[in-house]
Amino acid sequence: MLPLSLLTAAQNKPMLVELKNGETLNGLLINCDNFMNITLREVYQTNPDGDRFWKLKECYIRGSTIKYLRVPDNLLDAVKDEQNRTRDANRSSRGGHTGPGRGAPRGGNFLHTI
Amino acid sequence: MSLQGYTDRRVLLVLQDGRAIVGVLVGFDQKSNIVLSDCKERVYSADEGVEEIPLGLYLVKGEMVCLIGEIDEAIDSSADLSTIRAEPIPPIRYG
Repeated sequence: MLPLSLLTAAQNKPMLVELKNGETLNGLLINCDNFMNITLREVYQTNPDGDRFWKLKECYIRGSTIKYLRVPDNLLDAVKDEQNRTRDANRSSRGGHTGPGRGAPRGGNFLHTI
Repeated sequence: MSLQGYTDRRVLLVLQDGRAIVGVLVGFDQKSNIVLSDCKERVYSADEGVEEIPLGLYLVKGEMVCLIGEIDEAIDSSADLSTIRAEPIPPIRYG
């Protein structure tokens, strides 16, 4: 599973982001892109020592400043289920035959030879 | 060269800030961004046993990764973390 598919699936979910300078930001993920730039809403920010707090309505975080993101545990199963569903949907939409593979059965029908 | 062989295995991840995290590798990409499930941080100390702190599901930026190694379950489960004393790994310093 790609890290970015997990992140996109985490939209509207709460998460904890630690930056490279040790600051942490707790909030709801609003949006993200392929650089892992993200916007959070209803954010609690703490300084690296964890002794000072700020409340932010919304903030934008440049992806390159992020150390890691902590996301809800149940997101993993949600993304796996979703991937299985789309895989199965693709399978059944492509042809959807359930018979013995491709090609005609060998021999038998001698009408072909007449 | 790929992390593919490590997927769904328990691995040790050492970060540039010196943290050691164990967890199951469930995903990665070309930039070595890492998804770990059931993460626990192992906090080493010279005068106390190793403390394990549960962290849950983590997405770690590739730039922060120093090392990823597969854990030998047999050895790891037979080790008594509370008896292990070790200095923590210092963070990487630049310049």
